[in-house]
Amino acid sequence: MVARAGEPRTARAEGRVVARFNAPRAARVEANANGRPLEVNHRAVAIVREEWRVVDRWWTEEPVVRDYFELVLESGENTVVFHDGASGGWYTQRGA
Amino acid sequence: MIACLTIPGLELKAALQRTPTLALRPAALAPEPQGEPLLGPVTAAAEEAGVRPGMRLGEALATCPSLALVEPDAAGAERAWEEILHALEDAGFSVEPASLGVAYFETHGVERLYGGLEPALRRAVAAVGTEWDACIGAAGRRFAALAAASVARPGQVVVVADEELPQFLAPLPLTLLPLERGRYEELEALGVRKLGQLAGLPGGAVAERLGPDGRRAWGLARGGTAARVRGRRPPALVFACFEFPEAVGNELTLRRALAGLVDTALARPERRDRFVRKVALAARLETGGSWRRTLTLREPSGDADRIRVALSPRLAELPGPVVELRLELVELTEPTGHQLELLAAGAEDRAKLRNGLRQVRASTGSGSVCTVVEVAPWSRVPESRALLVPKDE
Repeated sequence: MVARAGEPRTARAEGRVVARFNAPRAARVEANANGRPLEVNHRAVAIVREEWRVVDRWWTEEPVVRDYFELVLESGENTVVFHDGASGGWYTQRGA
Repeated sequence: MIACLTIPGLELKAALQRTPTLALRPAALAPEPQGEPLLGPVTAAAEEAGVRPGMRLGEALATCPSLALVEPDAAGAERAWEEILHALEDAGFSVEPASLGVAYFETHGVERLYGGLEPALRRAVAAVGTEWDACIGAAGRRFAALAAASVARPGQVVVVADEELPQFLAPLPLTLLPLERGRYEELEALGVRKLGQLAGLPGGAVAERLGPDGRRAWGLARGGTAARVRGRRPPALVFACFEFPEAVGNELTLRRALAGLVDTALARPERRDRFVRKVALAARLETGGSWRRTLTLREPSGDADRIRVALSPRLAELPGPVVELRLELVELTEPTGHQLELLAAGAEDRAKLRNGLRQVRASTGSGSVCTVVEVAPWSRVPESRALLVPKDE
């Protein structure tokens, strides 16, 4: 099953409801001019541990272009967010 | 209602606690040693003499030759702020500190406790104490509460009702908005000097001219969003400090002292096997000032070496010889901060697990228990790697 950020997270396959594991969830992210997150869901970012870009399925009509950031929030919580190039939105995601 | 408590010039007030007589004379917080020569907050007497916060040092001394410069005491200010937040928490307010001297809290939980909104806000002012000249603003939204606090006099409470909000915000200056200095100048050049003028512009035009920051400022000028206040988890009070017999600037000695402090703090019984998430390293300087740096660890840890390695580079940032070094464990996890294996893979445990899952299915219905099935583990798109499939047997 091919996933796109922002789509519903469940689908029906062979008569059974299945859901995508680690599906992205919309997040409220404040970023600086360079696109680096400053706040995630109103919680300040303490450290950007890593950042990387995923470009995939560029040969299809639904290419995936995402800028991922692995963050440590001021509260100490670790989280991964990405900026979706197609929709322009921000999402959190586990297992990235 | 959301309330905003501000203490203007907290850094100066904290530094003046060592020399209270200067509070009545023209005095200002001295510039940071390695920063631009710009003044910090100033006393009322200095303001009367024409000195303004943010003024260049040379200009300020030319304007008021008797101006006294007060050495910044960053660690003292942090400690004072922490005591103020503790006092508010002791009075029942769940506070969210935004920056040094600015904190938000929700009032609905305490209004019944103190007999209404205004008595609750007055209780908050009383909890802080008169020496800090706290101002409180309350409104339905965070930015409006901050704006209300900015116009309140010391010790005063200003409440803005939702229907009065546009008229209240309209005459206030743009400097309340979190914008870069260049942006204010750009807006002033366009003839926009008040929040009301900015709020009256079309949002699309503001975004096109000033970008996302401008769009956000425009939203705030119209009252901002009704974001919730998230009360903080009160910090842990585990610390260790070391006083040197004489001032020390040698990094090797400081590193050794830091290693001892990490071991001492981790061995404190109050830590109770919890892992450390956030630490602060503070120092009292020979010159009388202080220095403080906080650090959030990448992963919570109880390992002394790891904490020491993370903190050691901060010692190079010390501006001068120190007479006291202090380590604070600011945030700790729960004792079970590291998640280990949920169930051991023994046959007995598997039988227990199956039995438990059967009970969950029976109580919540079919489809409530799922299993993870890998479908494309090689995929670079995380949600394409596996599916959650209902496990009905």
